[in-house]
Amino acid sequence: MRRVVAAVMAVMVLAFAGCGIEVDNSDDGHGPTGTSAPDLETVTPLDDVRDWQGLATAVAADPAIHPVTDDPQQQLPVTLTDHQGTKVTVKDTSRVLALDVYGSLSRITYELGLGDSLIGRDVSTQFEEAADLPLVTHGGHDLSAESILDLDPTLIITDTSLGPWDVILQMREAGIPVVVVDSHRSIDNVSSLINEVAAALGVPAEGKKLAQRSQEQIDEVLGKIAKVAPAEESGRLRTIFLYVRGQANTYQLFGEDSGADTLIEALGLYDVAKEIDWKGSRSVTAEALIEAQPDLVLLMSKGLESVGGVDGLLEKVPALASTPAGENERFVDMADSQILGYGPMTAQVLNALAVAIYAPGSIS
Amino acid sequence: MTAVTAGAGTLRDRIVGRLATRVGLFTVLGALLVVVVLVGAGQGAVNVPASEVLGSVLHRLGFDIGPMPSHPRGEDALWNVRFPRVTMAVLAGAALATAGAVMQGVFGNPLAEPGVVGVSSGAAVAAATVIVFDLEFAGSWTIAIAAFLGGLVTTFLVYLLSREGGRTEVVTLVLTGIALNAMTSAGLAFLLFLANTQAREEIVFWQLGSLNGARWEQVVVVAVLAVVGVVAAVVMARQLDLLALGDRAARHVGVDVERLRVKAIVVVAVLTAAAVAFCGIIAFVGLVVPHLVRLVIGPGHRLLIPASALGGAVLLVAADLWARTAIVNADLPIGMLTALVGGPFFFWLIRRARRTAGGWA
Repeated sequence: MRRVVAAVMAVMVLAFAGCGIEVDNSDDGHGPTGTSAPDLETVTPLDDVRDWQGLATAVAADPAIHPVTDDPQQQLPVTLTDHQGTKVTVKDTSRVLALDVYGSLSRITYELGLGDSLIGRDVSTQFEEAADLPLVTHGGHDLSAESILDLDPTLIITDTSLGPWDVILQMREAGIPVVVVDSHRSIDNVSSLINEVAAALGVPAEGKKLAQRSQEQIDEVLGKIAKVAPAEESGRLRTIFLYVRGQANTYQLFGEDSGADTLIEALGLYDVAKEIDWKGSRSVTAEALIEAQPDLVLLMSKGLESVGGVDGLLEKVPALASTPAGENERFVDMADSQILGYGPMTAQVLNALAVAIYAPGSIS
Repeated sequence: MTAVTAGAGTLRDRIVGRLATRVGLFTVLGALLVVVVLVGAGQGAVNVPASEVLGSVLHRLGFDIGPMPSHPRGEDALWNVRFPRVTMAVLAGAALATAGAVMQGVFGNPLAEPGVVGVSSGAAVAAATVIVFDLEFAGSWTIAIAAFLGGLVTTFLVYLLSREGGRTEVVTLVLTGIALNAMTSAGLAFLLFLANTQAREEIVFWQLGSLNGARWEQVVVVAVLAVVGVVAAVVMARQLDLLALGDRAARHVGVDVERLRVKAIVVVAVLTAAAVAFCGIIAFVGLVVPHLVRLVIGPGHRLLIPASALGGAVLLVAADLWARTAIVNADLPIGMLTALVGGPFFFWLIRRARRTAGGWA
C-alpha cells in the first residue's frame, strides 16, 4: 500500500514538472561554488571586454548579514499607509513574516537588526541565518494560509509577488496586520523599499541608516563599474537575462520591469531587451535570440544547472549557438536568490557580477 | 440489492425494496457528507483537535460547551481558512455533479459533462480575460458573471454543433468537446502570453483547479449560484424524465422541448460558473457522480439530481482533503486529482457507450 502511495506521489511530482509549476525547494544558501569575487578595483579588467570565452560564476564575497544595529529602537505602535493605500496599525512585531518572491524583505528585516523576530520564510530566503526558519510557501511560490496561521504571526510584510492574493486577504480577515510594500524591484528603489519595511517595523531611524548605507555602497560600486565599462554605447556588451527552468521547459527573456533591466544597465551593459521593446518576462523564440545577437547572457545558477550547464543550455536552445554569446560560451551565472534580490546586498551583487563580466580571469 | 427477485416478490415487496434503496442512498450520502466535512474541518497545518473544532462551532452558535481551540490562531484558521474552503468544496462539488446530471439528461448523452465538452474551460477563458485586462464591473461578482457568460456561450455552442436530428451522438459530442477544448486552451495560452506575472500565476492556478484561498465573500457568490442552479435543476427534473422518452413523446405529453433545452443550458452555465469562478477547472466530477448514482437508483432525474448534488459534495470535499494533506506542506491542484480518478472512468464509459450503441454511432 505504501509503495502504491509512493508511486502515485511520484506520478504527481512528475505531473507538476509537466504543468510548468516550478518546484525549487533546493537550498542554494551558500550560492554556487566558485571563487568569491574580489573588489572590482583590485582586479585587472580585460583589455577588450569581448575577449573572453567560457562561463564565469559570480559569487558574492560576503553574503552574511551585517545588521545596522544590534539594538534597534522600535517605536510602536505605528500607523502607516502602505503601498496600496491601506491604513495599517502595527502594535506588535514579536512574530514577523516578511515574504516576497525575491527574498529581499526578509533580508532587509535581518539587516535592520530584527532578524530574531522573523518566524518563517519564503522559498527565496536562503541566506544562512534564516535557512532554518519554516517555509510558508509551497509548490514554488504559493502561500499557504494554514502554514502562516500555524506560526501565529503578529505582522506580515509582503508585496504582490506571492499568491494567491486571497491568502493575504484571509490573513487580514484573521486580524493580522498586513503591510504591502512596492513589488517593483530595481536599482533605483532600494532605499525606498528599505524605508517601507523599516516603517512597518517601527524602526524608521534604522531604516534610514540602512538605506543610506546600501545606497552609498551601490553608488561606490557603480562608480567602479563606470571605470571599467566601455564609455561608448556601441562598445558595451549586448546582454540578455535568460530565466531558465529545464524541468518545466521554461526559457524566458526578462525585459522591462522584470528587475533585470536596471541590473543590466547598472552593470554598464547594453540592454538588448530594451532595444527590442521586450516587456516583463516572456518565453523567447529562437529567431528572437538570433536576431538579438547577445554578447553575454546572464543566468540564475540553479536555472543553468537545471538544463545541465552550458553544454546542456546550448543543446536545448540551439539558437544561442548562433550568437556571439553562444560561440564564446560567454555566460555569467549567480545564485537565484541573489541575482535579482534587490536590497542591502545589491552592491555586492553588482560587484560580483561586474568582476565576472569585466575581469573573469581573476575568478577562474 | 433492489427487487431483483422479481419472480418471487410481490409488487408491494418490490416497491418497498426500491424505496429502501433510495432512502438508503440518501442516508449514506448524507452521513458521508457529514463525516468528510467534519474530517476536512479537523485537518490542516494548524493543529486543532476534533473536540476543539466542535467547541468552536458550538460557541459561535451561542452554546458555551466544549473547549475552544488552544492554538492561538486556531479560531482564525477554522473560520477564515478551513470552513470557507470546506464549504466551497461542498458547493462546487454539488454544482458540478448537478451540471453533469442535467447535461446528460438534456443532451441524451452519457458523456456530457462541463469539463469534458469544454464548458468549464469556456467559462475559464472568459474569467481569465477579466483577470488579464483587469476589468471590474460588479465587485466580487465580476469573475463569476464573466464565467457564467463564457459557460453560457460554450454550452450553446456545444448544443448547436453536436446536435443532429434531435439527438447528440456520442462521437459528435466528444469530438465537439475536443475542438472546443482546443480552442479554449488556445485562448488561455494567448491570455497567458498577454498577462503580467501576477495574472499569469492566477491563470495557472485556475487551469489546474484549486480551493486554496477560498474566502467567505466568494463562498457567498458561489452559494447563491449553486443553490439557484440546483433548485432549478430539481424543478425541471420531471420534464427531463419525459425528455428521455424522446423529443416527440415529450412533446405529446406537453413538454415545450426547445424551451426546456434553453432553460437547461442556462442552468448548466450557472452551475458551471459557480464552480469555475473561484475554484478553476475541476473536470470529471459531473461525469463520475451521476453515473455512480444511476447505478444505484436508476435514471429518474427527480432523485438523480439531488443525489448527485450530495455525491458531488462528498467527492469534492474528500478530494480537497486529500489534495491538501497527501503531501506535507503542499497543496496539490484538485483538478489534477479529479482527472486522475475521472480519466479511467471516462474510458470505461466510452467503451460501455460504444457497446450499447452498437458501434460508433
